[in-house]
Amino acid sequence: MLDRRIFREIDSVSILLMVTVSVIGIIFVYSAIYFQASQLVWRQIIWLMVSLLCLLVAIMIDYKFLVSISIPLYILMNFILLGLLFFGKLVANTRSWIVLGPFQAQPSEVTKIAVILVLARIFSEYREDSLSFKAFIISSMVVGLPATLTALQPDLGTALTYLPILIGVYILTGMKKKYLAIILVAVLATGFIGWNYALKDYQKKRIETLLMPNQDPRGAGYQLRQSKIAIGSGGLTGKGYHKGTQSQLRFLPARHTDFIMAVIAEEVGFLGLLVVFGLYFLMIYRFFSTIWVSADRAGVYLAFLVTMMISGQFLINVMMLVGLFPITGIPVPFISYGGSSLLANFLAASLVINVRMRRFRYI
Amino acid sequence: MARIYEDLTVVIRRSKITLYILAALIILVLVFYRKIQVLDHQKYWKLAEANRLRELPLAAPRGLILDRQKVILADNTPSFKVSLVREAVIDYEKTIDNLAGLLNLNRDELKKRIDRYRFLPAYMPIIIMDNLKLEDVSLIEARKDEFPEIKLEVEPRRVYPFGPTGAHLLGYLQEVSVDEIRTQPEKNWRGGEMIGKSGLEKQYNDTLIGREGRILEIVDSLGRPRAEISRTEPQPGRNLELSIDFDLQRRAEELLQGREGAIVALDPRSGECLVWASSPSYDPNRFINRFSADEWLALINDPGKPLENRVIRGLYSPGSTFKLVMALAALNEGIISENSTFYCSGAIELYNKEFNCWFRPGHGHLNLPEAIRNSCNVYFYQLGRRLSIDSIAEYARLMGLGQKTGIDLPGEKEGLVPSSDWKRKFLRQNWFPGETISVAIGQGPLLVTPLQLAYLTSIVANRGKKIRPHLVKDLGNINSEDRIEVSENIIEEVIEGMWRSVNKQGTGQGAFQPGFEVCGKTGSTQLISRETAERLIQKGVEVKKTHSWFTGFAPRYNPEIVVTVLVEFGGMGGQTAAPIAGQIFKAYREKYVRQTDLPRD
Repeated sequence: MLDRRIFREIDSVSILLMVTVSVIGIIFVYSAIYFQASQLVWRQIIWLMVSLLCLLVAIMIDYKFLVSISIPLYILMNFILLGLLFFGKLVANTRSWIVLGPFQAQPSEVTKIAVILVLARIFSEYREDSLSFKAFIISSMVVGLPATLTALQPDLGTALTYLPILIGVYILTGMKKKYLAIILVAVLATGFIGWNYALKDYQKKRIETLLMPNQDPRGAGYQLRQSKIAIGSGGLTGKGYHKGTQSQLRFLPARHTDFIMAVIAEEVGFLGLLVVFGLYFLMIYRFFSTIWVSADRAGVYLAFLVTMMISGQFLINVMMLVGLFPITGIPVPFISYGGSSLLANFLAASLVINVRMRRFRYI
Repeated sequence: MARIYEDLTVVIRRSKITLYILAALIILVLVFYRKIQVLDHQKYWKLAEANRLRELPLAAPRGLILDRQKVILADNTPSFKVSLVREAVIDYEKTIDNLAGLLNLNRDELKKRIDRYRFLPAYMPIIIMDNLKLEDVSLIEARKDEFPEIKLEVEPRRVYPFGPTGAHLLGYLQEVSVDEIRTQPEKNWRGGEMIGKSGLEKQYNDTLIGREGRILEIVDSLGRPRAEISRTEPQPGRNLELSIDFDLQRRAEELLQGREGAIVALDPRSGECLVWASSPSYDPNRFINRFSADEWLALINDPGKPLENRVIRGLYSPGSTFKLVMALAALNEGIISENSTFYCSGAIELYNKEFNCWFRPGHGHLNLPEAIRNSCNVYFYQLGRRLSIDSIAEYARLMGLGQKTGIDLPGEKEGLVPSSDWKRKFLRQNWFPGETISVAIGQGPLLVTPLQLAYLTSIVANRGKKIRPHLVKDLGNINSEDRIEVSENIIEEVIEGMWRSVNKQGTGQGAFQPGFEVCGKTGSTQLISRETAERLIQKGVEVKKTHSWFTGFAPRYNPEIVVTVLVEFGGMGGQTAAPIAGQIFKAYREKYVRQTDLPRD
């Protein structure tokens, strides 16, 4: 069962980078919500320790076992999401939270891990050079189902974070240009129908804001404007820790969650931002290097999709802050405040570490 | 050999390409961040500063208005106002709903008011309610956290402690209008600022307002102040010290109570006005409120015209008071001498028309002082027949009629002195000599203001020296050497007549004050013809369809005070105006002339 040898192979570099990035996150969460109860910061520290513990527990289980039980896990998670739609408690206008006494959790975050496991299982034996139509439909549905359920909560931001996973599958399986055209048509069609029938007004407004940011100074455009002012006014070296006027005087919205990178940019400037980006990229690079040493196809898929999920979310967030992407509620993995997001990202990353430590076949 | 490891080259190659694309994307994003943070830094820095810094005006207390004995006529008192900070508003409709509920205001009016000031920059608060009572204030204060967009402030509010007394003189404040803000950008008026809209408040607005201070403070996104960076204290406005004597002023307004008319009293030696009363009056305290449109309209539409400052804006026919001008003109032109007499039989036929004297039995033979004493019309008809209208107009203008006196109040009217030129120009007709006969007794198109008549009287009292009337005490030395080109001897003749009028049972005897040699002239302006009036009198109807004038000065030598009284529909000048003037002379004497100065009788 557990071979002692594999523990020597635990990827301490990845863990160290993840913890470092998380601690940087906590430091700036503390700055961003300094005037609020420091309770939130303690809570995040506890979540970090819990996440680390869960990671250590999770890597003991062979990823191949996890892949093998992925289908029941996936079905279970989808039922939970479905149940949330009917019985979930409305928090901040969405039914995305499970509330158990003082604890709240967002099952959608964990569902992404189940999705990745199922995809790894489906494609572990897939040896075609390119994506077949059947596989295209199946993989799209596997990602599409929980994403749709999440979008219905309605939590468009989290639903959007499923997209990098799907793109990851398409890339890895070598999707043909034909399908790309189908997707493009589908996206345009859903875009058109969605705009006219499905999107809520506030969601439309956010997309409109991306195109015309100065229209409504207090609505979604206000957020983008304040975010850009925060980042731009930070300059090369920043205004100093805890001295950002945009964050400290609360001009920035969602300072400790979605807009935490703007706080960092304002307080430590472009140079500080480069350091954070650098650490983040090192972490992503480290995850990628696991792909290249993976023992089997399932491992490649796991590591790649997890990396896609994390880096895609990061990229969307930093693009959103400067108006390259519509403002959607997407936190930065490891840095933004939020317990279940942190835990989910640690668990997802545990799969990468899992794959790396089991890269050798011991006969 | 069984392959332990499967061939993953294809997927690994694809993942590597993905990594490169990702890295490229991240670099692209960083380039974008660099543009915002490094290249456009200045622009965003300024925006951030504009976000966090707010400049607030500190209202300067308006200067007080005092009378000559430093009685405060216009004061300031702290009052609360509520303003809307539009920067902090998220949803206008909701905010207006909530505020209407909180402040108990009409929703539509509130919205209209906010819309009216839409053109002002968003950081400028719009005042939505003022003059709040303390209990309202505590209610709003208690719910302040629910309404980050409103601001509760103390502002000095104008108060006129004596209400309607002196209202026309002092004027009142009103909110600066949207038009004024737009058309007078050099004044830097803020929306909602209270400025002088009439009277001295308007005339001396720039002196009274002082200079407002400024606070530069740091605010958060909800507009709550967090720290103060700098503060410039406001410079209070300068006080205005008037020449008005408030005791006399109050007495004058008492005397006019229930009547429509005006009283003006001034010191002929300096031109300082002592009394400035116009009746009916109004309470200027009511306009200080920014929201009193109904009361305002009621006053504007009141047929008694309480808002009109009759002293400088009331135009009346001078009636017999104009005989003073006629007498001076005739003497100076050499048409009569001090010994010339005319015979009054009660009427005279001139230019085929009969002109009556007011005293139908006739005055018999009289010289100039007697003619003034009795206000004999026939005597002055004779002068009118011998003087051309243009010559009369010249003297009238010389005495200050038909032009502004230059008093330091806004809105003064010029009146009208008719001449042949004037008639050609405005009526496109030639002047008829018969009309000169009417002008000779102050009827016809002549129009004067009470202040013009007081100024005219002060020129007589000063024996020809022209000293312009004014209201503010420290206007510098106005010891002008400007005088009319009429010799003192001639003026002394006229004064003799004025003295007799009051002291020798003349028409002005109602103004008589023992020991205080009052000289004066009465006047009555006919609003209906004498024939109609006499018919009505025969029917036993009391006729008071004439405006009643008295203008005079005292004492005869070294005069100290000029008093001019006009009572609308007061009947004959001797009946109404003269006794009122007498009371003013009396009040003045009791206050200013030491009893030991009085003759022993």
